[in-house]
Amino acid sequence: MGQKIEKTFSVAEPLDKVWTFLSDPRKVAPCVPGASITEQVDDKTYKGTISVKVGPTVTDYRGEVQIERLDSQNHEIEILGKGQDVRGRGSASMKMTGKLRTLPNGDTEVTSVSEISVVGILAQMGGRVISEVSNIMFGEFMKSFQARLQQPDASAELKPIKATSVAWEATKGLFRGKS
Amino acid sequence: MIHKTSPEVGGMGHPLRRKEDSRFIQGKGNYVDDVHLPGMVYGQMVRSPYAHARLKTVNTEKAKKLPGVLAIITGEDLAKANLAWMPTLSHDKQMVLATGKVLFQSQEVAFVIAEDRYTAADAAELVEVEYEELPVLVDPQKAMDPGAPVLREDREQKNNHIFHWEVGNRKATDDVFQKAPVKASVNAFFQRCHPAPLETCGCVADFNKATGKLTVYMTSQAPHAHRTVFALVGGIPEQNIRVISPDIGGGFGNKVPVYPGYVCAIVASLTLGVPVKWIETRSENLQSTGFARDYHMTAEIAADRDGKMQALRVKTLADHGAFNAAAQPTKFPAGLFSICTGSYDYPQAFCEVDGVYTNKAPGGIAYRCSFRVTEAAYLIERVVDVLALELKMDPAELRRKNFIPPDRFPYESSLGWTYDSGNYEAAMKLALDKIGYAELRKEQAEKRKKGELMGIGISSFTEIVGAGPAHTFDILGIKMFDSCEIRIHPTGKAITRMGTKSQGQGHETTYAQIVAQELGIPANDVTVEEGDTDTAPYGLGTYASRSTPTSGAATAIAARKIRDKAKKIAAYMLECSENDLEWEPGKFYVKGAPSKAKTIQEIAFAAYTNMPPGMEPGLEAVDYYDPPNLTFPFGTYACVVDIDKGTGEVKVRRFVAVDDCGNIINPMIVEGQIHGGLTEGLAIAFMQQIDYDESGNVQGGSFQDYLLPTAVETPHWETDKTCTPSPHHPFGAKGVGESPNVGSPAAFVNAVVDALSHLGVKHIDMPIAPWKVWNILKEKGVIS
Repeated sequence: MGQKIEKTFSVAEPLDKVWTFLSDPRKVAPCVPGASITEQVDDKTYKGTISVKVGPTVTDYRGEVQIERLDSQNHEIEILGKGQDVRGRGSASMKMTGKLRTLPNGDTEVTSVSEISVVGILAQMGGRVISEVSNIMFGEFMKSFQARLQQPDASAELKPIKATSVAWEATKGLFRGKS
Repeated sequence: MIHKTSPEVGGMGHPLRRKEDSRFIQGKGNYVDDVHLPGMVYGQMVRSPYAHARLKTVNTEKAKKLPGVLAIITGEDLAKANLAWMPTLSHDKQMVLATGKVLFQSQEVAFVIAEDRYTAADAAELVEVEYEELPVLVDPQKAMDPGAPVLREDREQKNNHIFHWEVGNRKATDDVFQKAPVKASVNAFFQRCHPAPLETCGCVADFNKATGKLTVYMTSQAPHAHRTVFALVGGIPEQNIRVISPDIGGGFGNKVPVYPGYVCAIVASLTLGVPVKWIETRSENLQSTGFARDYHMTAEIAADRDGKMQALRVKTLADHGAFNAAAQPTKFPAGLFSICTGSYDYPQAFCEVDGVYTNKAPGGIAYRCSFRVTEAAYLIERVVDVLALELKMDPAELRRKNFIPPDRFPYESSLGWTYDSGNYEAAMKLALDKIGYAELRKEQAEKRKKGELMGIGISSFTEIVGAGPAHTFDILGIKMFDSCEIRIHPTGKAITRMGTKSQGQGHETTYAQIVAQELGIPANDVTVEEGDTDTAPYGLGTYASRSTPTSGAATAIAARKIRDKAKKIAAYMLECSENDLEWEPGKFYVKGAPSKAKTIQEIAFAAYTNMPPGMEPGLEAVDYYDPPNLTFPFGTYACVVDIDKGTGEVKVRRFVAVDDCGNIINPMIVEGQIHGGLTEGLAIAFMQQIDYDESGNVQGGSFQDYLLPTAVETPHWETDKTCTPSPHHPFGAKGVGESPNVGSPAAFVNAVVDALSHLGVKHIDMPIAPWKVWNILKEKGVIS
């Protein structure tokens, strides 16, 4: 089950500040709902977990995040994440490319392109549910990213999105069409 | 002509209400999941999320600690008992529980047994399995590439090719093609679909340690065959195995194979000494049990300029998934697919099929189909329409020109079948008259001028059912006869038992009607019992529309044996010679003196109270019927569709089904069968596919994605019939259950293609979902 998800948002912070934050997985990971970095293997490789709850299915992925490319000149980062469900119920991988650009008003635009591939029970939920869940997760990520960028010490507790909220949000998404 | 009995007797031709329905409509059916035995426990499968992966460890420690968990069986456990693999019905073998690696998503990996169903399900979640992902093959073409990863490491043959099968004269056919002035061809993919019976598969295995007897209540279309498989594979003496198929909630071929769940429940009961129930969930049924079709087919026709067909050439790649678990006669790896010449007289034909392994669920079974006849009928009816386009000839006219004429029966086809009887033009004429074909063509021409899209589709299919003659047909060596035993009670009532097994077809009514027809005992006085291997005579079960051609024939023959004995008793009672007696259903009377008569009920009483000296008491008979040939039901379906250009949605405006299944036992049941099969055909044509993504994830593994038609989607069906009896069947019947599923997909697709043919569209693969049509309309510039 392959999915390509493109997102763009802007933050009211200068590019350099955003870049410093974005290029450090230890800072970015806590912004992803349900994700955490558990170990740094080397300067480009980290071990971590992410818990995704869709309807009745909780999938706890354990795996590695690797910075494939870090281009400080053009402010581009390419991250590869791979994980297996701890109970052996499937795997997921994600290749994310992030790019920063200064907007005319001085804000920074973040563009990300993620290619997600899911194998297993979650993949059977069908593309429409996965993209809805991704949208919701990305929405949470954006909020958290902006908040943490402004208050680097904020440590809001991050838990998997609740089943009911995801199921409900995803269902609403199906009915309203594309979001 | 069949003598018509009175409505009270209810012999052949009477629309008797189904005897079984009184319990079904009151919720009093007894399905496998209704079986509750003292001390019964529950099994739950742990399944693979991966389509292809090395199995590294299966850790059951946490699951075993959950209160209520009794045992967990893994592939390694079964391997110790030499049960990790089991034979399929197609000379292949299949893993019961995975060892070494998994080969399809949802493959069985471990079996958890617990005190209740919920604990079993919870414990299954706690089983930790470590996998190492391997490259996945979902495309059968790629699986045939020389460098493709070998999926089945257990085989000596180190590629993914299962079999090559061919029939017909390749050279003579190729020669015709080289010289033919007109050629037409189509690449048609008959998508993987699933019978999705409303009742999923399941069983209760009950091993009694004291008696050594194993009773298995199971969803089986072939209880005797399954008993023999269990005896051969499990080494249990066959007299100690009793298979009981209670009420079955639809089978459609899905309940012919032996599934790992049955084997695991049996192993668990043998080990624990208590009854073990295993019932599939809907998703388990869709994702792991016998799928149907998945045939990638090419057909070519060589013809004269005036449309006379000269030769047919067919090449097919058959995707069987991880194991060749097709349920079909031994000598026919592609089933009866060589019926692909259909209703047409081809001087030459050649057909070849290659089977291939992929990382998908194993199969494929004959979904309401006599072993690949659905694929064959779809293909020939599709390519004939393509030829009509090529020749710019009306598709009805092209069919008429090439039908096997009625005076050519019995007809030897160029691919080796002997068609018993047929009158194809009569069925087509009736269907076209009924739907108003000529007017519809005029309407279509008018609509095209206005830019509106409507199409008319025809399918003049021929079936081949009732397997089959012992000289050609067997499953695992067991000849495909079937049986009936009739016992007449002293009061003239009767019980009959058969080797077949109803899954909703109405056997309790139709078999009773055959007895009523042959003996004059009212159908309501006849109990029909099937599905218990301890009581029923041996038989191969119900699928391939074989019940009426085989057990139905056996019922008539057994009844005639009883009638022969009854005649002797009647002669004794009437003090006359047997030669002086005449029969009419229900009584023997003296020729010329109709008042001197003995009813079958009086004769039955005498068989127990006043038999002729020296005669064996009782009145019963058994018959094992080996049919001399298959039967060839046929028909023409005509369909009118309108296409909504805005949405791409296809609306079936009218559908006329003319069937010819020979002499009919119960016209109401026949009509019901046709309604059901057409509805399934509609779903296949427009809604259903078990698809896989490139990682081998099932797309269509629940009713969220695998759509069932409801009353909303289903159009009004108009049915009619012609009657061409089978010359070799004892009462001229042919079998009908599968015709509508076999014949209808081509009618729907032909109608849609016909609506778009003026745009250059020659073929659309099923399922024809609105997005497919919409894309075509966009591509052809019909909409912007």
